[in-house]
Amino acid sequence: MSDAQRPSDDGVSSEQPSTGGVGGGDSDSGDGNDEFEPVQVFPEAEEMDLRPGADSCYKCSTCDTNCPVAEVDDEFPGPKFQGPEQWRLKRQDDHDIDDSVMKCSNCMRCDSACPSSVPLSQMHNTARAEYVEENMSKFSREYLRNRVLANYRRLAPLASMFPRTANFVMGRSVTKWLGEKTLGITSERDFPEFATETFREWWTDRGGANVENEDKRIAYFHGCYSNYNTPEVAKALVHVYEHFGYEVMVPEQSCSGTPMFANGMLEDARRAAETNVRELAAAIEDGADVIASCSSCSMSIRQEYPELFDFENTEDVAANTWDAVEYLRVHEDLMGALENTTVGDEFDDMAYHAPCHSRNQGLDGQTIEVMDAIDGIDAHDVGDSCSGISGTYGWKEENYETSMKIGEEMFEHMDAAEAETGLTECPTCSMQMEHGTGYEIKHTLEVLEAALVGDRDGSGSGSHASAGAGTETATESN
Amino acid sequence: MAHDTAVLVLGGGSTGCGIARDLAMRGVDVTLVERGNLTDGTTGRMHGLLHSGGRYAVSDQASATECIEENEILREIASHCVEETGGLFVQRPEDSDEYFQEKLEGCRDCGIPATVLSGREARGVEPYLAEDVSRAIQVPDGAVDPFRLCVANALDAERHGARIETHAEVIDLLRDGDEIYGVEVRHDSGPGKRTHKSPGTTEEITAEYVVNATGAWAGQIGDMADLDVAVRPSKGVMTIMNVRQVDTVINRCRPKGDADIIVPHETTAILGTTDEEVADPDDYPEEQWEVDMMIDTLSELVPILEEARTIRSFWGVRPLYEPPGTGTQDPTDITRDFFLLDHDERDGVSGMSSIVGGKFTTYRAMAEEITDHVCAKLGVSATCATAEEPLPGSEDISVLEEGMDDFGLRSPIARRSNQRLGSRAADVLETDEPNPVVCECEGVTRAEVQDAIDQSGSDLNAVRIRTRASMGNCQGGFCCQNMATELHPRYDEATVREALDELFQERWKGERHALWGEQLSQAMLNYALHATTMNRDNDPAGASTQVDYAQFDGGA
Repeated sequence: MSDAQRPSDDGVSSEQPSTGGVGGGDSDSGDGNDEFEPVQVFPEAEEMDLRPGADSCYKCSTCDTNCPVAEVDDEFPGPKFQGPEQWRLKRQDDHDIDDSVMKCSNCMRCDSACPSSVPLSQMHNTARAEYVEENMSKFSREYLRNRVLANYRRLAPLASMFPRTANFVMGRSVTKWLGEKTLGITSERDFPEFATETFREWWTDRGGANVENEDKRIAYFHGCYSNYNTPEVAKALVHVYEHFGYEVMVPEQSCSGTPMFANGMLEDARRAAETNVRELAAAIEDGADVIASCSSCSMSIRQEYPELFDFENTEDVAANTWDAVEYLRVHEDLMGALENTTVGDEFDDMAYHAPCHSRNQGLDGQTIEVMDAIDGIDAHDVGDSCSGISGTYGWKEENYETSMKIGEEMFEHMDAAEAETGLTECPTCSMQMEHGTGYEIKHTLEVLEAALVGDRDGSGSGSHASAGAGTETATESN
Repeated sequence: MAHDTAVLVLGGGSTGCGIARDLAMRGVDVTLVERGNLTDGTTGRMHGLLHSGGRYAVSDQASATECIEENEILREIASHCVEETGGLFVQRPEDSDEYFQEKLEGCRDCGIPATVLSGREARGVEPYLAEDVSRAIQVPDGAVDPFRLCVANALDAERHGARIETHAEVIDLLRDGDEIYGVEVRHDSGPGKRTHKSPGTTEEITAEYVVNATGAWAGQIGDMADLDVAVRPSKGVMTIMNVRQVDTVINRCRPKGDADIIVPHETTAILGTTDEEVADPDDYPEEQWEVDMMIDTLSELVPILEEARTIRSFWGVRPLYEPPGTGTQDPTDITRDFFLLDHDERDGVSGMSSIVGGKFTTYRAMAEEITDHVCAKLGVSATCATAEEPLPGSEDISVLEEGMDDFGLRSPIARRSNQRLGSRAADVLETDEPNPVVCECEGVTRAEVQDAIDQSGSDLNAVRIRTRASMGNCQGGFCCQNMATELHPRYDEATVREALDELFQERWKGERHALWGEQLSQAMLNYALHATTMNRDNDPAGASTQVDYAQFDGGA
């Protein structure tokens, strides 16, 4: 027999078409684990075979009845079609993903709705990336606009250098008109204002952490929005965690990837995620847990990273990432610490909206409970509807109306609630809440800061918990 | 004596339909009768493999050579029924090197293109292959849809003037002395397209010549005229997976054995099979251990199968035959070659031949040989053109490949519809009417269902085999009633209900062998939908007494 008839894997070097990349090669079956391990099966480097995920679907359509887009848009075929049905109809060479996948807002409510653990959002994210890669022109206005929206973080540093100019320019109606005409970004919305000082600038000026504690460390994943637009939320997190005696680390970080997934820009997301996993894994190595203040950032790191990427330590980072309030409820006596605290005049009754991405993490009930512990605040849950903006979705001209229709229920409930201020943990939900009602919208951490730490500028409306667990190590040195 | 038809073909499987088409194309007046639907016998109960010949390359090289020749022909004339998946003969560490080498050389001897891949290269082609698969031989196996192929043959036969009667069971052979001159059939609902609830009739059909192409049932037909056709039916089980774990045909590279093949079939993958002789092709045990054994054994090749969802299992019977006196014990060893039994030469009874043995991939070549034989009897000199003339749906495949129209459908639905319909797609799918999806699992629209109804009457199983509607993961739970609704208003309510019940029963038959895991959840949901939501287990429409609606309150 000639050698050619007896190839062995020893002789097959790396130039062979390998199964590397996503999925990292062969399946890890036969270990008694019921969950299938997707493998890269399609020839293009980024494509995974999610067809076996369709095995879990028995077509009950609960996902469709929970999809906020399908509810208001009769043209949208819903998550069951986008996910298990479309995947099941695929053969190895098929790349014609239906364009309706771009109408999915990536709220991920289908994931929570599914009684049978179909990996719906993973299917949608992967199909959307394939659609953008295979079916969308890289020169189209839509692609350019989506790329800009998905990579908001790339523009933000520039705007932050000249925040006042940027805010002035972005607020001009002529700019908005141009945005709609040239890029398809709706002129109905006001661009978020850029802060005059980013969180990271503040952090550097401050000299970093005020508490050192090798037993209690967190690595703060602030994300883009609380760095460039709402540094008051990020500062609140630092103050609250330092109050409980934590050493706060602020590692290098990139965008969480959420807007990139939603726009099918999986390569952009991969680059960002690679940085984040590397930096966060290093922090975990130093004894920290990862904390995020934005519900989409924590969602992304916890669920989407392990579903879509397999960098070293991805699973580990996902398993050690927490929502900021959730972490305190588990590791500290947060409720005890909040007992008898007040927030003075600064905060009153609030209309609370639980973001879809909090809901997906099982965190939709926690904020109301936490707020109830503070004297003088009544937080009213405005129901379980989706706000409708879903990140960049509601910014697109073609989605604006759908987005507002989805939001209608929330707007009505906010209106009916006895409160004039809104409360949520998601930056874009907060934009939508403000846009639909004109209310000022706060982040839960800002209220916690007021209750536990008081006003850092010295007006002193807050009062301290007397002796919450862990507070004894707090140092006040500002 | 004037005959009703020149040639009467018994059996609407691949062989019978192939013969009917060949005869009709040669200008011979032909009638085909089939007991149930087309493909109801063995044709509709196979694993869908279009042999490259690789499987027979060691044991039966004549068959192997014939397979590769016919394989290449079917890719041309039936391209809309064939998927060129390619195939692998994979070797595990415990499988013999010697046999692997014999297989490779056998393929090359028979003109079957064969390439050796390392285990890693094989996993590059099929990532779910087991880690310890050491080598593979790559051959041009393919996947074929036996339903659409058989139906296309029947359709083309009809276009050439043939009469095709389904649901027409042969109840007697007409024999006068030493001559067979026709059959008596019982029509389920009168001649022509089936309509449920129509009264049955019987009909004597006389013919110059009768071809018994009933495969595993050939012995039963022979008995009607006291002719001994010693067909040895052998059952094999096949299990359908919910999704395609592989896109290539996976064969185990070892001499013989049960459970050694996985065929990607449309949206599914089919596991096969076993080989066990049975006495009666209509009544044999279907046992769960056969399914379990097959999943366990094939998981050695593709481990993900262990946990994967199966949607149903079915059994088929091979029409094996060997000349009297051969005496082979193990059915696996019985030849897959076919035999033409001319009862005139064999038994001194003229007017009929029986055709037994053979395999699906070579149905066309078999049909050609039998048609030559029949034509010689009838003195017809026309020659065979079935190897060159494409079947309906494969006429102009370049149109299909160049510009796949989406007919306003969502892309995966359009893609699947185009693949099923081939060059008939525009005729069927171009419509000004709304064209909603009727079967979500398989992406089948109203227009395609209506086209099938045009062909087959009120029989929803006939619609099913033409379209794949109700063959996906819900096994009709969500679409049987939608398909039935499509019969209205062409057919009245009673007909529609009976057609629905018949389809739902047929679907349930195969699901019984897949009731664990996700498919059990599916069956429970189907039950809830049909028995409770639709109240089909106590439907007033089926009750003998009128419902007393006055007994109900206003619902307020």
